[in-house]
Amino acid sequence: MQYGKYRFIVGFLVAPLVLYAVFVISPFIQTVYYSFTNWTGVSPEFEYVGLANFELLWKDDLFREAFFNNIVLLVGLPVFTVLLALLFAFLLNVGGTGAGVRGIAGNGFYKVAFFLPQVLAVPVIAVIWAVIFSPESEGLANSFLGWLGLGPYDWLASPDMALYCVLWVLVWGSVGFYLVLFNAAMSSVPRDIFEAAFIDGASRLSTFVRVTMPLLWDTIQTSWVYLAILALDAYALVFVMTIGPGGPDNSTQVMALRIAQEGFQNGKAGYASAMGVVLFFLTLIIAAVLLRVTRRERIEY
Amino acid sequence: MATQRRTRGDISVTAASHIVLVIWSFIVIVPFAWALVASTKTTREIFGDPWSLPADPQWQNFESAWDNNVGEYLLNSVIVVSGGVVLTMLLGSMVAYVLARYPFPGNRFIFYLFASGMMFPVFLALVPLFFVVKSFGMLSTYHGLILVYTAYSLPFTVFFMHAFFRTLPTSVAEAAVIDGASHTNVFFRVMLPMAKPGLLSIAIFNILGQWNQFVLPQFLSPDKPLLTQAVASLLSNQRYRADWGTVFAFLAIAMIPVIVAYLAFYRQVQSGLTSGTLK
Amino acid sequence: MNAPRPYPRRVFLRRAGLSALAVSGGTSFLASCASGGSDSDDDVSGGGEEQTSENPFGVDAADPLHVVIFNGGYGDQYAKFHEGIYQEKFADAQIEHEAITDIRQQMQPLFNAGNPPDVLDNAGAEQMPISTLADTGQLTDLTDLWDADAIGFEGMTVRDTLHPIAIESAEYAEKPLVMNYALQVYGIWYDRALFDEQGWEPAETWPDFMNLCETIKSAGIAPMAHQGKYPYYIQQVLMDMAVKHGGHEVVFAIDSLEPDAWQHDSIRAAAEALLEIKNGGYMLEGTEGLDHIQSQTRWNEGKAAFIPSGSWLENEQASVAPAGFQTTAAPTPLLDGATLPFDCTRVEAAEAFIVPAQAANQVGGLEYLRIMLSMEGAREFTELTSAPTVVNGAADGVDASPGLASSLALIESGGDDNWNYYYTIWYSPLRPKIETVVGELAAGRISADEFCDRCQEAADETAEDPTTQQRTRP
Repeated sequence: MQYGKYRFIVGFLVAPLVLYAVFVISPFIQTVYYSFTNWTGVSPEFEYVGLANFELLWKDDLFREAFFNNIVLLVGLPVFTVLLALLFAFLLNVGGTGAGVRGIAGNGFYKVAFFLPQVLAVPVIAVIWAVIFSPESEGLANSFLGWLGLGPYDWLASPDMALYCVLWVLVWGSVGFYLVLFNAAMSSVPRDIFEAAFIDGASRLSTFVRVTMPLLWDTIQTSWVYLAILALDAYALVFVMTIGPGGPDNSTQVMALRIAQEGFQNGKAGYASAMGVVLFFLTLIIAAVLLRVTRRERIEY
Repeated sequence: MATQRRTRGDISVTAASHIVLVIWSFIVIVPFAWALVASTKTTREIFGDPWSLPADPQWQNFESAWDNNVGEYLLNSVIVVSGGVVLTMLLGSMVAYVLARYPFPGNRFIFYLFASGMMFPVFLALVPLFFVVKSFGMLSTYHGLILVYTAYSLPFTVFFMHAFFRTLPTSVAEAAVIDGASHTNVFFRVMLPMAKPGLLSIAIFNILGQWNQFVLPQFLSPDKPLLTQAVASLLSNQRYRADWGTVFAFLAIAMIPVIVAYLAFYRQVQSGLTSGTLK
Repeated sequence: MNAPRPYPRRVFLRRAGLSALAVSGGTSFLASCASGGSDSDDDVSGGGEEQTSENPFGVDAADPLHVVIFNGGYGDQYAKFHEGIYQEKFADAQIEHEAITDIRQQMQPLFNAGNPPDVLDNAGAEQMPISTLADTGQLTDLTDLWDADAIGFEGMTVRDTLHPIAIESAEYAEKPLVMNYALQVYGIWYDRALFDEQGWEPAETWPDFMNLCETIKSAGIAPMAHQGKYPYYIQQVLMDMAVKHGGHEVVFAIDSLEPDAWQHDSIRAAAEALLEIKNGGYMLEGTEGLDHIQSQTRWNEGKAAFIPSGSWLENEQASVAPAGFQTTAAPTPLLDGATLPFDCTRVEAAEAFIVPAQAANQVGGLEYLRIMLSMEGAREFTELTSAPTVVNGAADGVDASPGLASSLALIESGGDDNWNYYYTIWYSPLRPKIETVVGELAAGRISADEFCDRCQEAADETAEDPTTQQRTRP
């Protein structure tokens, strides 16, 4: 059976690997190649320039600003998305009262409704929220503020606020999927565990923290990493929704946008490729660190 | 089964929970509803009076969308995404399963190879990718797009399915092997069904991701546009011509298949679970 | 799980073969990628027929023609008309017509592969970077086109029929490489009907303009709105006031990347003026966050009196503007000490048509451009789009809408005083940097001095960048 095993392994790996190598790895390697040239992106002619692009990148202030903006997203997006998704998953599966462990009343409706943002494509989400965040006093966000007795705000037009608006929209657009994921995870946890906790007199909060989170840890961990990657790669939303884009005053500039701008608008495809390579390794390092830091003993039940 | 004691604290927590859930529902539904209503408005109304209902529902926006080939793009998207998701889930689970349950030299390397694919900004690879696809003569073809979509969905799928497969109990598989099942049989007859909730969640995500993808087809399939690509194109078109009513009509049509797919899958995810699967 | 076994040899070889395949496949893909150098070609392609007065470039009637049009504000109807004329002349030619908005996405691979279209209308947000194309020898020299006979004009060459701005804006390193087709007239636009009703007139001097703003404001209308999301628009107001104050040398210095170009007194004065509008509360509330359609829609609804834009405005808002709305252009007011007259403005030649150097049918492309520049071709464009072309006199007798009429009037009245700048095309990285600073100024968050300093910093960075191809004006 042993040779059968290796034949099985290879048989299962060949097709996907070839597909992956041809369409993903090969273009990536070519991009690495371009990062050492001064390719403009529009001409078949270019020259090898060694590490010049990387040297320039090191001194690039705008890229540095973009990097720090990405860090803000990197911290905020996973935290808020995971917290909200977990919270909702908990409430919808376990938060109900009455006999036994069940979800809160009406959870069927909530489970469908909360998924809606996932159905919209990013450019659409960007347009919708740009309208909501309109700085006019009749804009929806400002109307809401007005109802609370606060003045109209600039939202996306404010250099101080714009990045947080972007963060909010990213969270809004992500919670739905992770809710589905945590839902599925939670519903596979045997009810007995929760019941035991309730019988022991645990409050909902401590059940959530002491029971739910550890059981879901693997899923939480992978979700966190994936959200971190999304934070580093954010592009389409920023491009469509922000002033400039990347503004006002570069406050929403992000690394992926820099790559697109340099590579496509400024005719510096070689330089953009260098940025891409740097972004890739950055992502790799951050993901590796996150995985290491959140490693835990898996709980068997 | 003991009944829960209903305490004061319980009631207020329940109330608070409901409030939180209702608020979020509002936050989620309002933007969505706005987009839907906008599909029946004129351009002036959409931006002039964004929060009121249209004076006169502009159903011709939908006609206009139809005239602009929304039906054709819808079909293209359905074909490519169906093919893409099926192929992705098949190949992705095959790889994830092998990597999760069969140690061999190079196992970790291959895993990281796939996982690291998620970290690469896709649009950077567009020009080289264009030439690769072109050299196979696969530009603007269904199979070309399906293959590319699958290749780019593999990292995510492998990454997540790997976690799922690792947690499946070994006992069932071992029993099957003892009964004389081949590795392949074990995979298709035993492990895949056990991983169903995971498969379905990841499948949903792949459906969404592939459906909403527009950057890849913009470069690789200019002659056979997909729906989201057309929407993105229309949106960029809006800088030059203000016909937002049609854009939102397109959008409304684009939303439907995804909602249908979600409702169909969703029930599956919630039901049909036996022993501990995900964790 | 099973203990790992030593790797069976044949499996190992199979895997090694696999990776070898992947590597070699990768290399051949590398080869098939964009790294082929091509010989630069001075000879034009296509044609080879005899050059006659009817067919000055010797176009071969059987050669196909690939035309790509930017399907934006001007649409593509006009192109179909021009193609019709070409088809009549060369009945056997197969014309491929494409009208798209994502020019770069679709054209970039073609340029890299060495088979671009014969005619490309390079415009819109996703256009190819034209100065890069020019610098890498990817554009056909249009001198032959300029020297050829103009169709529909007795005894004149194409060059003779063109507005000077078309000739000037075509040049890169002293060769005409780009045919800019439409004239775009900039100004602050208002509704003639509204102003007539209220008894208002656009103001000529700055004090008058401030008074007008006050009057408008007390009527419950915001004197000015602008397209906050794209600071490009309000920047035109600033530049226009500056140039009218200090003369054309102001922009010559900027375009030439001269040190202290942005520290010019006229720039500073214009910045102060813009701040006065903002701080006087004369800007539409919330305008900083609106995009062009939103702000222009507010303007159409009578919530704002003036909005900066160009001669495409009327067409762009056609489906939004209420009946009876008369889109009319006004020049910006003169600042204290202005050296140019009131009724001149920025006139740009836009909608860049190019014939790529690697196109298969270059002479066909040249002939197509010649047809576009004919009396008949140019007139048809103006009739369809209400926009003027660079061909003098082609718009005479066209039934002009208010927008077109006021644009033409400004072209006429401004004459040689009309001005233009090129730095946004010549140094594309500089443009977003300047626009960022303009945005901050228009929002009233920085002072005029800070504005000048930051713009100058950005310009200096560009000047010091070794990849910048520096050009000078005049």
